[in-house]
Amino acid sequence: MSLLEFDEVDKYFGETHVLKDVDLDVEEGEVCVIIGPSGSGKSTLLRCANRLEEIQDGEIRLEGQSISAADADINRLRQRIGMVFQSFNLFPHKTARENVTLAPTKVKGLKKGDAERRADELLDRVGLGAQSNSYPNQLSGGQQQRVAIARALAMDPHVMLFDEVTSALDPELVGEVLDVMHDLAEEGMTMLVVTHEMGFAREVGDRIVLMADGKVVEDSPPEVFFENPKTDRGKQFLSKLL
Amino acid sequence: MAESYSEGRTGDGEYQEQFLNDTTLRRLGAAVAGLFTLGVGGFIAAIIFTQVDFELLVEIIHPQFVNAFLRVLGIVLVGSLLSVTAGVFVGLGRVSNTKFTNTVATAYVEFFRGTPLLFQLLVIYVGIPAFWPPGQFPISNWAIPTAIIGLTLNHAAYVGEAVRGGIDAVPEGQMEAARSLGMSYVQGMREVVLPQAWRNALAAIGNDQVILVKDTSLLTVIAIPELISAFRNVNSTTFDPWTPIILVAIAYLMITIPLGKIVNHLEARADWGGDRR
Repeated sequence: MSLLEFDEVDKYFGETHVLKDVDLDVEEGEVCVIIGPSGSGKSTLLRCANRLEEIQDGEIRLEGQSISAADADINRLRQRIGMVFQSFNLFPHKTARENVTLAPTKVKGLKKGDAERRADELLDRVGLGAQSNSYPNQLSGGQQQRVAIARALAMDPHVMLFDEVTSALDPELVGEVLDVMHDLAEEGMTMLVVTHEMGFAREVGDRIVLMADGKVVEDSPPEVFFENPKTDRGKQFLSKLL
Repeated sequence: MAESYSEGRTGDGEYQEQFLNDTTLRRLGAAVAGLFTLGVGGFIAAIIFTQVDFELLVEIIHPQFVNAFLRVLGIVLVGSLLSVTAGVFVGLGRVSNTKFTNTVATAYVEFFRGTPLLFQLLVIYVGIPAFWPPGQFPISNWAIPTAIIGLTLNHAAYVGEAVRGGIDAVPEGQMEAARSLGMSYVQGMREVVLPQAWRNALAAIGNDQVILVKDTSLLTVIAIPELISAFRNVNSTTFDPWTPIILVAIAYLMITIPLGKIVNHLEARADWGGDRR
């Protein structure tokens, strides 16, 4: 049993078939990087993984439990799936620390003091120990995204989903976010990462999954994918990067 | 056309002074404001010194106007509290994905926003007791409950629309972030969306509550001794218009101006690191 399993997943937006029979298994401790042209369905796949989008056919399972079933206890399952968004989505009315403590106190019933101690630890870990009392609009994009990572980690997720988390950042701020993700990968976090950062994909990824037109078209280790892709679609994609 | 960039310039590259440049506009505005202040100030001074009968003023201020003022204030306090509270739920109903809830909330807003408050007051005041046999209606002073129910139902519709607008203005990603952390819809609404929607809606809600204060003037038709009826009382017995008019104006402003200050204070409090300046 893999940690996260996509089993013949089909997703439609109205008439548009955006995910076509997608099969993908993510193993524990693995960093699975999804790349592909825009509109290929990679972000949608990620959003289906914690049911921000409903799927129309197939099944998605986390540690053997169905996420997509009608009777799934989705609030409980989502606690094991951390998600970081392209546009950060920090809560603007709460400080960095309050952003991190909100879900642990409200959802897990953690005591305020315990949650705050843990939040300060996590903010330290992403290099923002000094900014814990700042509001999001007082932080740079890179800092906000690192708070968002700390916020997701505060629920002790078993897998982290990263949805183009550096795409909205100024170029000079991308590195600080990728560094945090790099550290997280080294600590053994299971990660499903949608990104356009090929350097990161190559260095940190255990697997490169190429999506095109709603399908997984290649699934290779990075050294294979970036040196000698197995499929024509992979070769085509790589040739456009250079 | 390149020439369009050099409009207003003379041949030697100096800017030409136009008739209505920034400085003259600013001075003109100040002059108009000054004249307006002088005119209104003079008018009010003229009223106070030529029209107001201070002996009468002292005579009517207590208990008549003080009582009317306190009555209005009480109705406003209860009506505000109830209409804002109910309005939040109307707003939540308006953004509900459940078709039934949404339809009911929409119909509610359409009705209470679409018919006059005066009509609604009469429906409650005359219509409800008609369900009982004549003389059997158990509530003896039905006018005050009518006032509170009417103002609440009517203004909950307006507050509801303000809250709906406030919720709509919160980016969808906020609820998604809350849900992705395992929070329920209710938790996401309460902890994340509503505090932001509240700030977005505050100005509109404050505006509506000022209107609620002024709407108490309609209560004169259901025989509540409020400020307008106090005026009419004095005016019909003394034929003095300006003495009671001044008192009515002061009484309303004593409620609406502090109300505006409270709204400003609430807005300033929801500043969250200064993104609203």
